[in-house]
Amino acid sequence: MRKTVLIALVAILLVTTGLQAQTLPPRLEFRHQGLKIETTPVRNHVEVSPIMTLLGGEAAFSASAGVWALSLGEHLVQVAPDRRLVLVNGKLAEVQDAPISSPGGIAVRLSFLDDFILAPFGFHLEPIVGGYSIVPGVSSGKPITIRPAAADFSATTTLVLSLDRAVEATVEARPGGGVVVLLPRSAPRIESPNRLRSRRVRSVVAAPGRLEIDLSPTIGLISWNVLTGPDRVVMELGTVPPTPTPAPIIARPVERSGPRPIVIDPGHGGDDTGAVGASGLSEKELTLVIARRLAQALRSAGYPVRLTRDGDAGRALTDRAALANRLDARLFVSLHANASTVASVHGAETYYMSLDDRASDEAAQFTADLENRAGGAGLQGGSTLDLILWDMAQSEVLNESARLALRVQARLNALLGLKDRGVKQAPFVVLTGATMPAVLVEVGFLSNSEELEQLASPTHQQGLADAIALGIGDFLVGQ
Amino acid sequence: MKGRLLVILLAGLAIGALLAWLLVTGTTHVALVEDVIPAEPPPTPTPAPEQRITLFFAGGDGLLHPEIRTVPLPEDTAARIRIVFAELLAGPRSSLQPILPYPAELRALFVTPGGRAYLDISGPPEPLEGSATELMMVYGLVNSVLLNTEVVAVQVLFEGTERATLTGHLDLSRPLVLNKDLIGR
Repeated sequence: MRKTVLIALVAILLVTTGLQAQTLPPRLEFRHQGLKIETTPVRNHVEVSPIMTLLGGEAAFSASAGVWALSLGEHLVQVAPDRRLVLVNGKLAEVQDAPISSPGGIAVRLSFLDDFILAPFGFHLEPIVGGYSIVPGVSSGKPITIRPAAADFSATTTLVLSLDRAVEATVEARPGGGVVVLLPRSAPRIESPNRLRSRRVRSVVAAPGRLEIDLSPTIGLISWNVLTGPDRVVMELGTVPPTPTPAPIIARPVERSGPRPIVIDPGHGGDDTGAVGASGLSEKELTLVIARRLAQALRSAGYPVRLTRDGDAGRALTDRAALANRLDARLFVSLHANASTVASVHGAETYYMSLDDRASDEAAQFTADLENRAGGAGLQGGSTLDLILWDMAQSEVLNESARLALRVQARLNALLGLKDRGVKQAPFVVLTGATMPAVLVEVGFLSNSEELEQLASPTHQQGLADAIALGIGDFLVGQ
Repeated sequence: MKGRLLVILLAGLAIGALLAWLLVTGTTHVALVEDVIPAEPPPTPTPAPEQRITLFFAGGDGLLHPEIRTVPLPEDTAARIRIVFAELLAGPRSSLQPILPYPAELRALFVTPGGRAYLDISGPPEPLEGSATELMMVYGLVNSVLLNTEVVAVQVLFEGTERATLTGHLDLSRPLVLNKDLIGR
């Protein structure tokens, strides 16, 4: 009885000690290149904004996307409160502890700060008295012991890498043959490497943050999984084509040389005339004329341009943004002329895409459900991550689209003295799926007799093209 | 022996008489109940309480503007949507312009348990033009339904089918939520 009580007391003491080890002091000091700041941790999380200031970087919050953009030089880390996913230089990573909202904006755990904010910027934390020093270079990583074992079957080999702790692992086929297991921020050590016996696996060699696995000729990676209970990486090797997942069927990229173009989309075309004014001027004619003038103005300013149509040709709405995607365009600008049943309505306006907020929430819930079902260990499949990545990427693109729309609309207002109909959001088909800043410009109303007369004038058409080109230039300069 | 037989016979007759009496009186009793209890009067429909609703119509600036009116509004969501649609179809009572450019008919209506409403309306007799026309029509309807019911999103179907777009601009292939950008100040 006494022994049981003693064990229980020791267990309580150990747990308490462990919690205390994670508890931050009331004040924490950070030093970097002779500068020093003191912060007050919030629920054992560290405020991010002062750290970014200390590093000479920037922490900007996008209210529309709900995401913090942490930038230093060319590096960008995007994080959001209560989200366990972080975009590091455009790549998605999953974290154990989500950032939290704080008085200073956003706060993270020390491990998060070290691994996902400082590491991408080329720094790491070194403990000092009363806090941490932020020093250049990569942390040597936490040690991890790996015990490999292989089982050869008639056509395939199952390779199991047993781990002494849970770790974020990614398996990739090497272009020249073999396999690499990426173990970020880890210092792997192979236990008993000579005990590995397999006719298809030649060797498993540890390097900082990775394992290099040599395979017999013609042997490749068929599939892989990171499993728990116990923690292990399991991969299937064999002679089948070494593609872990079937490649999606995608449209062949359009050959492009030189810098990324701006794609101008003259709305409608072919059988689809769009709106038609009382004079017979059609939307498809007008948008093509302005698009050609806009293309000329942009080319004169040194920007490469592609039109989605350069004649009276019909083109599916979804093909237009798809072309911009395939060209890896910098911008996508769709030109339209408006019409209303209310004859007095006139003016130009610029739209950018709106995402259905509730649909996004449902997608997030759906994602969470999937994660829960997978027990948090099945995220390597890609679809869940792709969904979230798409969501976050779309939020970022939307911010840029809004900025482009504002620049274009400001020029339209200023140069032409048009009635400001403002920048608005709407789910337009032609903007759906664009992976770059994309806007739809309605240059005026063909249904308004005065504006119809203006729109038919080459001078006015040139003015519109120049205004839009200047707006695009403003946006690109500010990028 | 004869005496015992007689007693048994008399007892049998007495039991038979008792049963006959019970049967007769029981029937009378049921009939009596039927006569006494009056028939349930048919329920008289109570008029829905009058409530203020917000409808959106097109302004001279090409944006949606609210018009508030008081109408009998039932509790049932589908019934409320029908009232809202009918009021929109009736048109504005102010200087605003109609959002429905043709006398559309609400052909069918579905509301999912999750609060999504699917409105199947008759298609335009002639092709419509301009994103403004499309935006005013669809968001005038969507915003009006959302502001007067528990519905969270509305998808508009035409002639029983899903349309990708009406005039080549707005994506109608999914339920839409409130669009505040199109509401004028």
